[in-house]
Amino acid sequence: MAEDRKEILRMEHITKQFGYVYANRDVNLSVLEGEVHTLLGENGAGKSTLMNILFGLYQPTEGNIFVRGQKVRIESPSQAVKLGIGMVHQHFMLVEAMTVFENIILGDARSKGIFIDQNARRREIKELSEKYGLDADLDQPITELAVGAQQRVEILKALYRGCDILVLDEPTAALTDQETEGLFEIIKKLKGEGKSVIFISHKMREVLRISDRVTILRAGQTVETLNINDVTGEQLANKMIGRELKSSQYSKTDGNGEDAAVLDHVSYHRNFKHNGLNDVSLKVRHGEIVGIAGVDGNGQSQLAMLMTGNIAPEEGSMDLKKSKVVRFDPSGFIEQNVAHIPEDRNKAGLVGNMSVADNLVLKITKDKRFSDGNGLRLKKKAIHNYALQMQKKYDIRCSSVDQEARNLSGGNQQKIILARELEAAPDLLIAVHPTRGLDIGAARFIHDAIVKERDAGCGVLLISADFDEILEVSDRILVMFEGKIMGEFSGKNPPIEEISLAMAGK
Amino acid sequence: MGSFIANLILASVRMASPLIFLSLAELYSQRAGLVNIGIEGIAAIGSLTGFLVSLVTGSPLLGVLAGALAGILVNMIFAYATITLCAEQIVYGMAINIFAPALAAFIYRVYFGSGSALVQADLMITLKSALGIKSNHFLVNLFLDQTPMVYFAFILVVLTAVYFSRTKSGLNYKAVGEYPKAAATLGINVIGIRYLACVICGALAGIGGAYLTTCYSRTYVDGNVAGRGFIALAAVIFGRWSPAGVLIACLFFGFCDALQIRLQLVNNTLPYQFFQMIPYAATILVLALIGAKKAGPKACGQPYRKEEH
Amino acid sequence: MKRRDLLVTIIIPVISILLSFVIGAIIIAALGASPLDALRYLWKGAFGNVRNLGTTFSRATPLIFTTLCACFAYRCGVFNLGGEGQFIIGAIAACYIATKSPLTGFPAILLCAAAGALGGGLWAGAAGLLKVYRGQNEMIITIMLNYVATLFMGVVFTNWLRDGSVPQTVAVPEETQLASFLGLRATVAFPVAVIVGILIYYFLFWTSSGFQFRAVGLNMTAAKVNGFNVRRYILMSFIVSGAIAGLGGALELLGTQLRLINGFASGYGFDGVAMALIASLHPLAGILVAIFFAALRVGSTTMQTATGVPTSVSDIIQALVIVFTVAGMAMVRLPGFRNKFLQKAGKEA
Repeated sequence: MAEDRKEILRMEHITKQFGYVYANRDVNLSVLEGEVHTLLGENGAGKSTLMNILFGLYQPTEGNIFVRGQKVRIESPSQAVKLGIGMVHQHFMLVEAMTVFENIILGDARSKGIFIDQNARRREIKELSEKYGLDADLDQPITELAVGAQQRVEILKALYRGCDILVLDEPTAALTDQETEGLFEIIKKLKGEGKSVIFISHKMREVLRISDRVTILRAGQTVETLNINDVTGEQLANKMIGRELKSSQYSKTDGNGEDAAVLDHVSYHRNFKHNGLNDVSLKVRHGEIVGIAGVDGNGQSQLAMLMTGNIAPEEGSMDLKKSKVVRFDPSGFIEQNVAHIPEDRNKAGLVGNMSVADNLVLKITKDKRFSDGNGLRLKKKAIHNYALQMQKKYDIRCSSVDQEARNLSGGNQQKIILARELEAAPDLLIAVHPTRGLDIGAARFIHDAIVKERDAGCGVLLISADFDEILEVSDRILVMFEGKIMGEFSGKNPPIEEISLAMAGK
Repeated sequence: MGSFIANLILASVRMASPLIFLSLAELYSQRAGLVNIGIEGIAAIGSLTGFLVSLVTGSPLLGVLAGALAGILVNMIFAYATITLCAEQIVYGMAINIFAPALAAFIYRVYFGSGSALVQADLMITLKSALGIKSNHFLVNLFLDQTPMVYFAFILVVLTAVYFSRTKSGLNYKAVGEYPKAAATLGINVIGIRYLACVICGALAGIGGAYLTTCYSRTYVDGNVAGRGFIALAAVIFGRWSPAGVLIACLFFGFCDALQIRLQLVNNTLPYQFFQMIPYAATILVLALIGAKKAGPKACGQPYRKEEH
Repeated sequence: MKRRDLLVTIIIPVISILLSFVIGAIIIAALGASPLDALRYLWKGAFGNVRNLGTTFSRATPLIFTTLCACFAYRCGVFNLGGEGQFIIGAIAACYIATKSPLTGFPAILLCAAAGALGGGLWAGAAGLLKVYRGQNEMIITIMLNYVATLFMGVVFTNWLRDGSVPQTVAVPEETQLASFLGLRATVAFPVAVIVGILIYYFLFWTSSGFQFRAVGLNMTAAKVNGFNVRRYILMSFIVSGAIAGLGGALELLGTQLRLINGFASGYGFDGVAMALIASLHPLAGILVAIFFAALRVGSTTMQTATGVPTSVSDIIQALVIVFTVAGMAMVRLPGFRNKFLQKAGKEA
């Protein structure tokens, strides 16, 4: 079926270098008219870089791009738009302080005149939204829209600019199953109108459902382009990762240790569905990993902040090691031996402008090992040696422990945090998206360390939007939706269907 | 007492005008995502240039134009450092605040020598005297006894409001200050708009400074901007980044300035410096009262790099 | 890695200084004087003999204090632009005690210094409270407080402590004036300033609190999540930096100026900010930069007398140094520059 369609886009031998790092190396991609073409690859495989090159945000170090058979140079997004390329970025490019309407017409150059021609523009947008079933209230501010609705605005924006090739970068990452269904309907309609869709994802189920063809990227290079009818999910996964994918390799426990932390009917900003907690009760016992599954933005961040003392509950109470918490303050929690792998490692985890060594001893400079007189004179030599020891133990790859932490890769930054938090031999560990954006090797390292900590008796609360990660390591799984706990499931042979339904609020 | 209040209102409008120019300068800068605390210094160079050109040519209007030009030139240093080199905006604003007044003082010394007597230039004439109207009615004074620059300041507020709320270009401009990366994906030239913002900001800050030597006082002295550039920063925050809000803030601060001068004239028991503190104290008070609700453009203060990996 | 960063923080200001001097030389030539002559007199004026050296140290002393004030505050992420106001309040407090209290001599000096530090600390602390509890922009607040302090000083020297018909305060009594330092024209305030700088350096880089203080300045969120008392450090940075400036004001009054008068401390606050930035917020480097700037100022007077080149040329040179340094430091941080630099280094290796 592919043969009778014309090729609309070809990217040949694309190479992109950032300093010494190759984000893309000799990548080839060919997209046909009216097809859904998936770019499949792990985090860091170079999918987004390739698309940013296509969209004119990056310049390729080498390689050529052909659109409708013509060789083109795309030096800016406006040139990409002129060529009929539209892109919905993983992080939405919407100006929050503006309305839907304003966001759609931003940068619009289709009509002359100084002023905004409200009526004409609105009419055009209405027509488009009806044609593709993209309903949107034009006068609503972006901040009031749910994630799915924001995505529809993004697609509308691209269509309004007349795109024939629409790039969707990880469009389902933040969607509920229901919203994903809606998105797939839209994609089918786009295809029906002869548009080409480049769909970026690493979720196998979705890829198999929606794609016509798949191009697999691994470590910045093209592996293969395949017809979706010719492969199975397992084959795709193996090609994506480059080796056999094994199912969960960690043993699961029943967790009958003492309570490490208990939340009793806790609420915080109860009415904020996306960043509040509504009557949450849960328990983390020593020696078990409790996984919190759920789509991003359903109160998980607040749960983590509360359980590390960064915010205080408005209702309900929390027990740490069987005694009630009176003051919610990070330093008090740290004294109670609560470790924290925060959601945003750059913002909250590390002091990027300090050295690797400084970040490793961040909380313990008053320790006798690292200073005399309770912090009155730092033992710099001891700190340096300790850092070298940690560098080895946690496999932190850096040119020197005196290097600024911000210059390290995400995986190595996360290992610094891991070393800092786990070396304290915590009683409770709150880990939030601990492997987000990391490659499989680093992710495995972190999972191993967390499981080892569990076996040493630490209670672990693992919050992650990556369902596979939750399934892989959790002994018990709780599902969060709109600030509430929707259900509790065993981590041994978890009922995947049921959990997915709970994640969608059912 | 009637004349006291009438004079107070007239003076408020006059004193608000330079603040309006400076605040709009800051507004245009921040709307594009650039916090420029250097407008105090730019105003100083504008003030000196305005004075010199007005003195040499005899035309205060040319003085104002020259002030705008000087402001643009100095602000291009800020533009290059913060936009192209991605220097920290606050830090560079401080550098400008040190550099520009030093340059102004230097030019003045070189031009007039060190021990010269006070030189005075002509002031811009008001519409009333240009039309030859003799009436001294309060309304005539309020609406006609003003220099063209006052009208210009108020018209500029209206134009700015229309620009930001009704025009396509204004919408794009605001997007650069809110989310430059998003603006770039829509084909908006972020770097270009930021440079444009610096041109507008430099021009307006230069005009605001030149106002002081062409419409307000006949001569230039070091430090004559007297913190107005910083008060303008407060006015933009107080005015919640909207032209109308900024106008109200400027009128308020202008009123404070007018009030202190009037009070100095009628009072002779308290040391006059206490009255001179009023505008500064009012600024602190206003900022303390409005609290910290952050409402400014989201990308304010952040550099924009094209290929951030 | 670390050594290269150190190199950059030294090389950039040095290049900036050279560049500024080149431009200064061009200006001097344009004014019809010989740049070489001018430079020679500039050097002579600043360091040429013991007497001039003393003057340079004396002029450097207040600048060191305001530089340290800025260094300290910015290390905690607080952009305190109010060094001048805090300096003035410290001087006013000292002036009252020196002229009104029955104490004289060393006890009076100690009390003056303490009162100066306290006054400056409280003055800055007020701004700190507004920042911590009202979330206010400390830059605008501290600048406004500068104007208020300057005007308040005006009240003091024109009214409350006026010396007869002249608008200045009565002089500090001779017994309460600071002694000369090693017989130079500088007073003991100079070594005190240096010692304060060393103490700050020790605090910032050799104590646990200083470590946490810097962490707050570099990443407030991470500091908070990792259990540091961020509010306390921020308030402390205001109060201590204000106290440093206030102490400077008190010692400047007791040592050099002896009276409050129009123009006392004018510009010292912003100068301190500039010098702190040139010194990359390092207190010891800050001392050197302050001495360098003071030398430029002292030397320029000799240059003006000898060659007719106005002293404001040296102001321009000083301003250019800051303009170039800040831009240069931003430039080396650009990713493009880094890459080029790395590739070159890689080829050589």
